[in-house]
Amino acid sequence: MRKLFDFPGGVHPAQNKQQSNPGKVLELPLPQRLLVPLSQHIGAPAKPVVKVGEQVQKGQLIAQATGFISASVHAPSSGTISAIDAFPVAHASGLEAMCIELQTDGQDTWHQDIGSADANTLDDQQIRQRMQAAGIAGMGGAGFPSSAKLATDKPIHTLLINGVECEPYITADDTLMQVHSADIIAGANLLLRLLDQAKCIIVIEDNKPQAITVMQQAALEHTDIEILVIPTKYPSGGEKQLIENVTGKQVPKGGIPADLGILCQNVATVKAINDAVYLGQPSIERIVTVTGNGVKQPGNYRIRIGTSVDYVLQQCQAETHANPVILGGPMMGFQLPNTQVPLVKTSNCLIVPDPQELPGKDTSMACIRCGQCEVACPAQLLPQQLYWLAKSDAFDKIEQYNLMDCIECGACAYVCPSQIPLVQHYRYAKGMVRQQAAETRQAEHAKLRFESREQRLLDEVNAKEERRKARAAAAAAAQAAKRAENPGAEDPVAAAKARLAEKKAAEASAPPKKAAEVQVPANHKDLKTAAAIVRTKLKKASKAFADAQAAGHDNTDKLQAMVTELEQRSEAAAKALADFESNMGLDPEAEKLAQVTWAKANAQVRKLTKAAPDESASDTEKSEHQTALTAAQATLDQAKAHLDSIKNPSQEAKS
Amino acid sequence: MDILIYAVAALTLMALVFGGILGYAAKRFKVDGNPIVEQINELLPQTQCGQCGHPGCKPYAEAIANQTDPINRCPPGGETTIKALADLLGVEALPLDAEAGVDSVRKIAYIREDECIGCTKCIQACPVDAILGAAKQMHTVIIPECTGCDLCVEPCPVDCIDMLPVPVTSQTWHWQKPEQLIATDRHPRVVSQGDIPA
Repeated sequence: MRKLFDFPGGVHPAQNKQQSNPGKVLELPLPQRLLVPLSQHIGAPAKPVVKVGEQVQKGQLIAQATGFISASVHAPSSGTISAIDAFPVAHASGLEAMCIELQTDGQDTWHQDIGSADANTLDDQQIRQRMQAAGIAGMGGAGFPSSAKLATDKPIHTLLINGVECEPYITADDTLMQVHSADIIAGANLLLRLLDQAKCIIVIEDNKPQAITVMQQAALEHTDIEILVIPTKYPSGGEKQLIENVTGKQVPKGGIPADLGILCQNVATVKAINDAVYLGQPSIERIVTVTGNGVKQPGNYRIRIGTSVDYVLQQCQAETHANPVILGGPMMGFQLPNTQVPLVKTSNCLIVPDPQELPGKDTSMACIRCGQCEVACPAQLLPQQLYWLAKSDAFDKIEQYNLMDCIECGACAYVCPSQIPLVQHYRYAKGMVRQQAAETRQAEHAKLRFESREQRLLDEVNAKEERRKARAAAAAAAQAAKRAENPGAEDPVAAAKARLAEKKAAEASAPPKKAAEVQVPANHKDLKTAAAIVRTKLKKASKAFADAQAAGHDNTDKLQAMVTELEQRSEAAAKALADFESNMGLDPEAEKLAQVTWAKANAQVRKLTKAAPDESASDTEKSEHQTALTAAQATLDQAKAHLDSIKNPSQEAKS
Repeated sequence: MDILIYAVAALTLMALVFGGILGYAAKRFKVDGNPIVEQINELLPQTQCGQCGHPGCKPYAEAIANQTDPINRCPPGGETTIKALADLLGVEALPLDAEAGVDSVRKIAYIREDECIGCTKCIQACPVDAILGAAKQMHTVIIPECTGCDLCVEPCPVDCIDMLPVPVTSQTWHWQKPEQLIATDRHPRVVSQGDIPA
């Protein structure tokens, strides 16, 4: 007989297991609507591979696992996909999550690819593939994808199969062991085949005598499978407590059972593995205990994944108006904020208690520091200390008291004489610790990005400066080369400077000009030329500026300044021209008109001269032509005189 | 007389020797910059939002270290940061300075993409390079990188940036603090959320 160890703490709450009549699996009619969440496990949600309106068969893959820690989702029955959207799911927050909605057709026909296989002909790799394809996630409650759990590279010497089911009320695993003992043993053998050299221990609490008997009989022929009966104590079904109970070793902080060479699987998971490998059936159903005084027909029901809680309670004739609905056991479960949610792979129990059965705690009293919680804590923490710290939001300190090792079993709250909702405090503190850790990570990340951005901007400025310097150096070198080519030529800069100095000296020595002399009335033509030159320069500079900008050159501001200056000069020149014209009584419009008139007359004269009648023409024709020519000549002369007078008004005045 | 000279000489010698050691140590183990600045900077939320009046978190950390600024000018950090800073510096925690802004829920910038004209102004304003886009191309916010600093909202010429609160998902949700009822507050039974019989 194996020597049993014990784990610290623990409590003995009333079992309340008989109400749900363990040992019999009840069937429910197939619901018309199934709502299958994409994330029923720990890890990344699965990705839908079907479309709305698509016809699916029972067991068909409808969402593919994404990544290593993820599990695929399959159609629990045949029917039509009616929606892929966010629906409320069974979560304490009442939040929505992505689900696939399936309207069942009642046929419940299996997909053609689903078929049984002889495990003896499969190699280990094929067995693993069939397990992975079935989308099995730990059915004990945590929902860790089983294929990921099996894929450890650490040597496993013990396979612990958890049939403890320590929480009151729940009898789903008890029932499963009584009904499907052979399947569990077969599944255990499959796992043993994958785990080289391991032995298997199926652990059952001593409050399930029928299950123990049945399992012992089923395991009789298998020498490497041992049925271990442990005394009833809550929470002996917790993974860490189970390991300590059986092996006397503790899973290191932050470690996993594989660190001790142990692999834990729930009995329901092992049964699902058996179904996946031998029958090819994916994880689409499970046994759920429906119990509590509020339920008229309590029992263990085989339900399809995705069945609505409402539907199940209705079928079991549960009284839910006045009573809360608890998903999970009375110790660790939570009250469902909404019963229109689907049951998933990890849902093992629904309790509808009446007010006398599980009285809600309205009030808690002050902590009297009795220390009972410390005695009860299976994780050997200091619940009282954690409570004070959580209450005062001292989250950095609470971590030092190993809050994260709390398994939220509720043993401390169960024994608390002041009825303090201790676990709720710890859940809150855990959430805050995680949130703060996430914020710190994010801040660290943001800091890195900010700093690298600053560095990048600085580098850009420096590079710009470098380029400017390089260009200046290149220009200087070019200058020097030019000078070296014609050593005779004087330095143009020095020459220009000398000229400027000379000019200044001359200006200084010359007597200051009179204002009148300075303002020599400018020539009309000169002014026009000056304006045109400035306009051309402006055009050129603008173009150069635009080019430079387009090419992304750096020092465009100089060019821009030049353009602005030229613009001003151009304006000034145009103004000077206009002023001159108005001063001198010039009217560019009239001049233009006169020019046009003159040109017309000129053209007329030329035309007439060319079209002179030849010798054979009659005299009349000749004389007519002569008259026209004379008239045209007269018009031309007139136009010329008019144009001249406009162009040179001063002369007209003189004459 | 001799004894006096010996004593003075011995003391002088010792002073020189120890002075030398101290001087060497001061050079050898010199700490560049003020280490407290780094510690303060660690506690700040690194949104680089500038609501404290400094161009980023580090300058504010420097200002706190130089005692030119109070510790309560960081709205994104809120009360938590003020408390942490007070603990670190051994000063009294102050209420958040309302001048700098109010502590609110964490927000994230979203660009209404069909309204974006591709001006790149928000990209230049973003302190953590969380906006992706190019001139005359639509811009978008890389959500996981956004710190919610608000700096991109103001430069947008078409006002197409919204600051929206970060939605709670089942990954980020956590239990709220239980309401503490004491026996003297006893009132008719209410079933509140989180009131699970345990």
